[in-house]
Amino acid sequence: MVVAVALGLWGGVTTMALINGWVKQRIADSIQNEISHIQIHNPEFLLNEEVDKTFNFDSVAQALSSADGIVGLSGRLKVFAMAQTDRANSGLVVLGVKPNSERSVSGIPNKLIMGSFLEGDFKTPSIVLGKKAAEELKLVNYELTDSIAQKLSAMELRLGEQIQPLVGRRIRTRSSFMNALRAELEPALFNHYSETLADSCASFRLNGPVVLTFQTPAGELHSAMFRVRGIYRTSNTAFDARMAYVNFENLALAANINPNYVHEVALLCKDNTSVVSIAQTLSTTYQNLKVRRWDEISPEIALYAAFGDFMGLIYIVIILFALAFGIINTMMMNVLERYREFGMLMAIGMNRLRVYSMIMMESVFLTLTGGVVGIVFSIVFIKIFAQTGFDFSMWAEGFEAIGYSSVVYPDITLANYVLVTILVTATGVLASLWPARRALKLNPMQALRVE
Amino acid sequence: MAIIEVVNVDKIYNDSEVKVTALSNINLTIEKGEFTAIVGPSGSGKTTLLNLLGGLDSPTNGKIRVGDVWLNELKGSKLIDFRLRNIGFVFQSYNLIPVLTAGENVELIMQLQGVSARVRKQVAADMLVKVGLADRFASRPAKLSGGQQQRVAVARALASKPQFILADEPTANLDGKSAENLLQIMEHLNRNEGVTFIFSTHDQRVMNRARRVILLEDGRIKSDTLQ
Repeated sequence: MVVAVALGLWGGVTTMALINGWVKQRIADSIQNEISHIQIHNPEFLLNEEVDKTFNFDSVAQALSSADGIVGLSGRLKVFAMAQTDRANSGLVVLGVKPNSERSVSGIPNKLIMGSFLEGDFKTPSIVLGKKAAEELKLVNYELTDSIAQKLSAMELRLGEQIQPLVGRRIRTRSSFMNALRAELEPALFNHYSETLADSCASFRLNGPVVLTFQTPAGELHSAMFRVRGIYRTSNTAFDARMAYVNFENLALAANINPNYVHEVALLCKDNTSVVSIAQTLSTTYQNLKVRRWDEISPEIALYAAFGDFMGLIYIVIILFALAFGIINTMMMNVLERYREFGMLMAIGMNRLRVYSMIMMESVFLTLTGGVVGIVFSIVFIKIFAQTGFDFSMWAEGFEAIGYSSVVYPDITLANYVLVTILVTATGVLASLWPARRALKLNPMQALRVE
Repeated sequence: MAIIEVVNVDKIYNDSEVKVTALSNINLTIEKGEFTAIVGPSGSGKTTLLNLLGGLDSPTNGKIRVGDVWLNELKGSKLIDFRLRNIGFVFQSYNLIPVLTAGENVELIMQLQGVSARVRKQVAADMLVKVGLADRFASRPAKLSGGQQQRVAVARALASKPQFILADEPTANLDGKSAENLLQIMEHLNRNEGVTFIFSTHDQRVMNRARRVILLEDGRIKSDTLQ
């Protein structure tokens, strides 16, 4: 029973910590990479996100940059564009940003897996794409380099020998690469290694051209060529497929927008708690603009927090339900095995209330012992995984498709510990009521005859 | 006045549609300091009579007095409390609590009576001395032989300072030497300290040592002899 309670408590606390961690990470990632704490728009822009609905950045920039509690500020242009490469096309939301300002509000510059974030002076303007967008635009090459070939030879000699004809060849699509592999490898090796090989040989085509077509404020369609200078990857595949970053000036010039005007100002606050008051102050100050907090911009993210708590409770209830059955079973066995003992105790003069109390006390002590073991185990477990993260990368694709990181850092509050401990202890006590009641009903005379 | 008086007691079990008369028209008295054996073949009603005397069961007809209390007037917790303070039990299978030491098993009944821990410890030690187990205070039942366990059970019964001790086949699970040893101790307690013992038994050695033998047959007292 001690083990059952300890495992139950550990399971409950860990589940809660994982869900808490997931939710916190999702909110933090959203704020850091996607929406920031506060956004300011021309109210008309929010209706249809039309490219001409801008507002004067200079009118707010100075006041905002010196405001208390605001640590980052970025003025953005935002256009909806059709992106084309020589092999594919895809719809993108293109943000025109000033790299240094964007760094102060967004974590995207730190999420680059290749290239740089709009730095450097190039003749052709730069664009930074998400990994998923780059894949959709087929900006991927498959090349088996010498170093990969050497590693494969060291891993399995036959494989190293068979792939030699492919070394140095650059193949443009995954299906062509797979066909080339199939032609060179014996079936068993192909089946075993082809997917891993394709992943490790894939490399993004930096400097590849991307043509963006978008509407100008005059209502005309305009196309401009950009070159891919960076690829980023977040834990949200949908975001990576949608958002692209270009230099503010390049986009302003290409879209014919006054460079003093912006579609959006993103603000990062010192902490989450100050967001409400800052947003209120800004709303009062800039009454002709629309000031929105992160939970208003993306209400589904705010919902995650409440939903996470609710899900945590549901999991805990399920765990407690299973635990209750375990305890009932154990205590019932305990009572049945000690039927004679209880019969003797009642015969010599222990009254029913004392027998009942004795069983209940045993249950409480066993539950508490299990509880302490479970809590200690949970604390150690969560401390370790809060540092290293809990790796679910086996299911990374699924997690990232819904915007969650596949590495979770469990997070739990003292209140969660207290709640789970109370629930587990209460379950232990409640689950013992029935076995204890059963003991109450025994007839000492009959119980003494039980072999 | 006799410490036990049984008046016109019948015990009939209604097992579904079959009526079984376990005891019929039992009348007897037991005086303080007796060393009495209730004997008879299996099914003669020995254990039933012992259960009635111990207040573990109630007669269908008739009544039983223990000391100056008629047991039929006590119900529920009052009856349990009466058993706790007036009747000692020794069972055939010892029925010690395995996780408690010999001393703690003896203390248990005093704990139920609300005796202070200090007094309990002292009395338990004294009782174990009386049954020849002074050095086994801290031993758990698993470390004791059957005879030693039954002596602990006697010490436990004695510790409650009962008016009498009921022993249901106390030697049935013991080898000859252990049974003899146990009987010597109980006889010693009876002769020197006036402890009243009432046994149910098949054991000829117990019958030989008993000073009064009540023979039951088919639920009736066939004979009641002093030896």
